[in-house]
Amino acid sequence: MKSLISKEFSLCLHPTSIIFLAFAALVFVPNYPYEVIFFFSGLAVFFTAMAARENGDLAFTASLPVKKRNVPLARMAVMMMFQCALLCLTALCIVIKQMTFPQTMLVNLVGNSANLAFCGYGALLLGIFNLMFFPLHYQNPTKIGVPFAIATAVQFALIGCMVMLRHLPFYAPLTSPDPDYYGIKLAILFGGLTLYAVLSALAARLSMQRFERVDL
Amino acid sequence: MTLLALNVQNLRKVYPNFVLDGISFSVEAGQIAGLIGRNGAGKSTTLKSVMGLIASEGAVKVFGKDFGEEEGTAKELIGYVGGGFRFYPNKALSAVAKTVARFYPHWDGEVFRRYCDEYALVLTKKIRELSEGMKIKFALALALSHGAKLLLLDEPTSGLDPLSREDLCDTLLALKAQGVTVLFSTHITSDLMRVADRILYLSDGTLLADAALDALIGRYRLKHFADLAEADAVRAIGVKAVKGGFEGLVEGSGEGREATLDEIMIHLEWERRKSHEIAHK
Repeated sequence: MKSLISKEFSLCLHPTSIIFLAFAALVFVPNYPYEVIFFFSGLAVFFTAMAARENGDLAFTASLPVKKRNVPLARMAVMMMFQCALLCLTALCIVIKQMTFPQTMLVNLVGNSANLAFCGYGALLLGIFNLMFFPLHYQNPTKIGVPFAIATAVQFALIGCMVMLRHLPFYAPLTSPDPDYYGIKLAILFGGLTLYAVLSALAARLSMQRFERVDL
Repeated sequence: MTLLALNVQNLRKVYPNFVLDGISFSVEAGQIAGLIGRNGAGKSTTLKSVMGLIASEGAVKVFGKDFGEEEGTAKELIGYVGGGFRFYPNKALSAVAKTVARFYPHWDGEVFRRYCDEYALVLTKKIRELSEGMKIKFALALALSHGAKLLLLDEPTSGLDPLSREDLCDTLLALKAQGVTVLFSTHITSDLMRVADRILYLSDGTLLADAALDALIGRYRLKHFADLAEADAVRAIGVKAVKGGFEGLVEGSGEGREATLDEIMIHLEWERRKSHEIAHK
């Protein structure tokens, strides 16, 4: 697995995977739908899958001395490393924002505010993307556009729900700056992270099973 | 007891328009076996199935290691060249080689450099800058540098010029002398005449012949006939019209002249086609 992951970095990784990490800084933009940060992460996955397809990567990798079912696992592991890095960077940017911005600029009027709970939503959005995109893609690795369109459609539907919820009165505590309502925000953060782990593990399991039946 | 480098049992793959029909064969350690057949006969499907690249039914053992149970270990023993190296066109040869080396505990950088020198491969070049022949050479250099005991080569000579093909045949013979087993598919039968010990002849997904090269060549004679009645009288195989009459294979060592591998392939294929036509009627 170590060699496979190393191969992902040396031969497959698309530059956008790194560039889109910088989009964590979007949380500094006042009144912005911050959830789109996690859409860009999906776009990086899309570009990497596209580059891999154009490079004939899957057939080449499967001919190396590895189990065929581990080929998608390595790609997903690397993509998940970047997703986790994006979550960490977003959290870091949120901390910096909360320490440096005036209190009035910490509440987002168009969507969810950048706070602890928002990181939980981000984790959920990434987990949903993984579950929708990877198993569909590895069922037929020549198909990238359709799995991406389905995954992002679900992601945007979820983002829409999150943005709508933000305007409901009972939701006010969750749009507050940290450290207000820490308890519930922490619960949402850990809930989001747990769901991310579960959905991604399920995505990996399905992808590995489906990829074994693929003809390369 | 003979050590089998490759043992394939009931290999079956069903496509909408093609069936690899449960073929079984084995290649003894130290042999060079040629997989021949017309385009679309199932040569690449067979090799890809052996490598597990396509999902097929059947059992494959590499030096006794079950491919299903010990996939990684079995693949370590194999050097696979699936045609030219058409991967990562924008990467330098050195970057690809460095990555591949990490997967093989027995990778020998010195051997790799030697093959690169021999094949005039410039490691700083990008894959897309190589000609088709050079891509095959690069793939071969990779396959030969990790101490593979079994080489699976899919049409390795088809993009090569005559001199490079001769060099490759020499390399295969040298590897055989070192105990390496080779199974390679080709439609250039002259290469097989140079190096092969054994011939596996695939036709439309069915293994039509599996024999030692000498035995296969010795089994048939090519005979010219003035008319079809004459051919029927000796039960000639795959009789077809040629300039000035008909030609077909006859079994045994008597009449006619020695048939080449190409001629054997053509007439067996012709016979099979005729049988199919009769069956359909």
